[in-house]
Amino acid sequence: MGAFHDFFQVILNPELFLLVGLGTFAGVYIGAIPGLSVTMAVSILISFTFSWDVLPAISLMIGIYMGGVYGGSRTAILLNIPGAPSAIATAMDGYPMAQRGEAGTAIGVTTVMSFFGGFIGIGVLALAAPLVSDFALKFQPRDYMLLAVLGILLVGSLSSGSLVKGIFSGALGIGIGAVGMDPLTFTERFTFDIPLLTQGISFIAVMIGMFGVSEALLQLHNIDLPAVRQKIDRIVPSFNTIKKHLPLSLQTSTIGVIIGALPGTGGDIAALMAYDHAKRVTKNPERKFGDGAIEGLVAPETANNAAVGGAFIPMMTLGIPGDAVTAIMIGALYIHGLNPGPMLMIDQPHMFWFIVGTLVAANFFMLLFGLTGIKLFTKIVEIPRAFLIPLIMMLSIVGAYAVNNSINDVYWMLGFGVFGYFMRHYGYPLGPVILGVILSRLLDDNWRRAIISEREDLGRFFGGLFSSPLSTVLFVAVVLIFVSQTPLWTKGKEMIFGRSNRSAS
Amino acid sequence: MDPEFRGDADHHDGTSDATPGGYADQRRPGELVFAGLMTAGSAALLWNAYGIAGFDALSSPGAIPMATAAVMLVTSVITLVRTIGLQKVAGETLAKDILPMIVLVMFVLLVGFGIALKPVGFLPTAAVFLIISMKIMARRSWPYTFAVALGSLALIWLVFRIVFTVLLPAGIVPESEFIQFFRSLVQAGAK
Amino acid sequence: MKRFALGAVSALVLAATGALAADYPAKEIQGIIQWGAGGSTDTVMRSVTPHAEEILGGTVVMQNMTGGVGAIALNYVADQSADGYTLLMGAENPLLYKVMGLGKKDYSDFVPVNVLARGTPILVASPNAPFDDYAGMMAYIKEHPGEVRFGATGPGGLPSVVTAMIETIEGDLDVISVPYDGDGPALTALQGGAIDVMPAVLGAAIEGIRAGNMKPLALFDVAKSDKLPEAPAVTDFNAAYNDYLPWGPFFGVFVAKDTPADVVEKLAGAYAEAATNPEFVELMNNRGFTMMNIAGAEAESFLSTWQQNTTWLLQDAGLTKTSPEEFGIARPGK
Repeated sequence: MGAFHDFFQVILNPELFLLVGLGTFAGVYIGAIPGLSVTMAVSILISFTFSWDVLPAISLMIGIYMGGVYGGSRTAILLNIPGAPSAIATAMDGYPMAQRGEAGTAIGVTTVMSFFGGFIGIGVLALAAPLVSDFALKFQPRDYMLLAVLGILLVGSLSSGSLVKGIFSGALGIGIGAVGMDPLTFTERFTFDIPLLTQGISFIAVMIGMFGVSEALLQLHNIDLPAVRQKIDRIVPSFNTIKKHLPLSLQTSTIGVIIGALPGTGGDIAALMAYDHAKRVTKNPERKFGDGAIEGLVAPETANNAAVGGAFIPMMTLGIPGDAVTAIMIGALYIHGLNPGPMLMIDQPHMFWFIVGTLVAANFFMLLFGLTGIKLFTKIVEIPRAFLIPLIMMLSIVGAYAVNNSINDVYWMLGFGVFGYFMRHYGYPLGPVILGVILSRLLDDNWRRAIISEREDLGRFFGGLFSSPLSTVLFVAVVLIFVSQTPLWTKGKEMIFGRSNRSAS
Repeated sequence: MDPEFRGDADHHDGTSDATPGGYADQRRPGELVFAGLMTAGSAALLWNAYGIAGFDALSSPGAIPMATAAVMLVTSVITLVRTIGLQKVAGETLAKDILPMIVLVMFVLLVGFGIALKPVGFLPTAAVFLIISMKIMARRSWPYTFAVALGSLALIWLVFRIVFTVLLPAGIVPESEFIQFFRSLVQAGAK
Repeated sequence: MKRFALGAVSALVLAATGALAADYPAKEIQGIIQWGAGGSTDTVMRSVTPHAEEILGGTVVMQNMTGGVGAIALNYVADQSADGYTLLMGAENPLLYKVMGLGKKDYSDFVPVNVLARGTPILVASPNAPFDDYAGMMAYIKEHPGEVRFGATGPGGLPSVVTAMIETIEGDLDVISVPYDGDGPALTALQGGAIDVMPAVLGAAIEGIRAGNMKPLALFDVAKSDKLPEAPAVTDFNAAYNDYLPWGPFFGVFVAKDTPADVVEKLAGAYAEAATNPEFVELMNNRGFTMMNIAGAEAESFLSTWQQNTTWLLQDAGLTKTSPEEFGIARPGK
């Protein structure tokens, strides 16, 4: 009975309920503005809610978290600038939809699917938290490395232009991620003895530059074209649309929960992996991926919101953060006199059910705030380009600066903006660059940990791949996906099925 | 059509991030130079990566950088060789299709923004940037341009500086004194 | 233009008067936190500063500035004008920057406002490890050379200092050292069995120990802690540790060196009082930190002794890039 009371506490207490709503509302807008991150907002809230009781403080933070993960999709769809890293994949198909005047539909689908994914995540948290956290702990450095390799194979599906250029972009991204002082050995890498480079290149600066500024520069070519009129007749997707994508969204939500529960990986990787998964399993999309395929919205948005619930799993069961935001929440729980750790569930079971209840409430608020105000939001895209472009550029500059209070990040952002502008013109895909930057550390650090643990012995390393079922499964997945992307596979299929199959692949 | 090209051939200007621009079987103005620069850059990175730790150990901090730089070099050479073999796109020039005047002007304005941001401060720099760029592009009356530019700037400043306490470079504007003055005023009023 | 000029003049006037302690703080104070949001430094600073704000009667806007193992934040604060409007909220490692080749500045370019607290290192092992205490671990390592995996956090981090201490006293350890970004990720890996032993801060490991997800081998202090009485002190196994202990990471608030003395005094007063706030003391106690709350000459001498001991320990273990001697850091007298 206690659990039920704790679960509904947030709804029965008007003050807490209001705070969750307020937090979610604020979160949607924080998430939507590039440069304002949920991480930042939550850490500011720690000082702000310092003198409060723990429950209201947590309610507000959870609201902001839930809203923020969703909010990133807004600017990704409308302006092609992902408001948060987890919305990168959303921009791939969301922005083309907005360019066709279907921003309303895109936002509607995104909202409903985020709500759905959020629920799957919370459901897993509530019902299977200890199981999932045991599973997540089993991931060894070797498995994280295989996961990163799996991620890097996504280059194939993120670059619909020339595959060679895509691979180049992906490698470039990994290289960008390696710039600066190596955090494991403090060796300088790719710094060319320039002090500025030792600090490394901020991932957010690369993201805002490549997506935001380069897009704005490109739009300068069509400055006198009238803005796209947005159709807003259809916002809430029909029941049929939802039913049609139900199997896909269940799969991508599962990806989201697992990636979210792994310490060290979060919604950004989950969204990209889900996008790739969707591309792989969707046989006949109504529109091609990259041109505004609904599946390209469903997959990343279910996954990144499911990752929220996932991130709470190791936090609640082990006191281990699932991502940056839960890391700060752990700090907040300490400040409020709780000791997050494996004993929290035993010492303070009411806290667990309170957090689950709050997540549920936040998820409903997200649906509410997501489906209202769309008309107003889509008006942004109808602002004449002559005014919109300078504003996007200034927002990009402020956003890049705000992440780390660093003027250098602004220079990087501008540099990558210009670089990305040329890359777009010459057919180099930008998605793989961002993918490379996200995965760089995961791949590099865990490769080194794995090989050090095996005493630099490649034989032992490969032996280890088959000593644990988890590693074996991941390794087989890597091999299968790799083979399916190489020309060898296509040739083999042709030989077996005849030439008629060629157009299908 | 090149079987290796899996994109949408209609968009040569990079409509979205998943469908990059360019043509599969033709070369745009400047594309060859860009491919050359990428090759040279990759070679320099590979050399630099080798310098991190050489072939010291599989677990050295230079192992992954060297592997990625090698991949970059190989792919950029392939791209370069392919690009050399392509014909130029008829009717496109660098000045018209890649770097028209307005793009160059915005480059200059952005670089100016970046340079002035720290010494002069965010508020004056952003105001000047918005007013000039909006005036150039929209060609509306001065009062209208001023109103839109300053209004939107005030909104962004309020959100970032006041609500989220992001310390944007103050430069010559005594921001923190100003804010403290109002804080004291509000506190005095409350008492 | 006229408006800008006016603004500039009034800024100058205000800045000039702002330096007087009588009306300090006349504007917002920036607090630059050396480490990321959610880390121990961040938690400590965000929980003590609101109390200090109340006493000061001003606002401290706290910002996380990460990168370069904290060197970026340190250099940033050192470059601001020394008027007491920019505080550095940092941990112990800047004292190692010079010998590790990470930077040219350290706390000698600053004045300590308050050294708030210090942590205690503890050696923990995964529950499946085939040993239960420090002596058992040493014996196992001797019997199985090159098999035990120790977690590390890069040169100069707490694990490297603790390992250097063990090697100085017990002779070289033939173990595999697996690098992690920080003690959080390393302790997670310990629970998953990716590493066997990890030197960590008591506060980070205490909840895991209580739940039985990791076992304590030895507390690196001269006596047991009342927070964790089941963990034996390492000096019980080998009295030679008494020369180096107590040792531990610490947290402090600093301002640039030439800050007017009366401003420093006002800040020091505020933080000294804030650090006695019962809520804050309880929080620190819960996280296994030992309150220090020292300032002025006492803090300066603490910092220089700490730097002497640690840099020479690392130097003797061959982990430094430049000898402490080059920077005029004397070898600690025996």
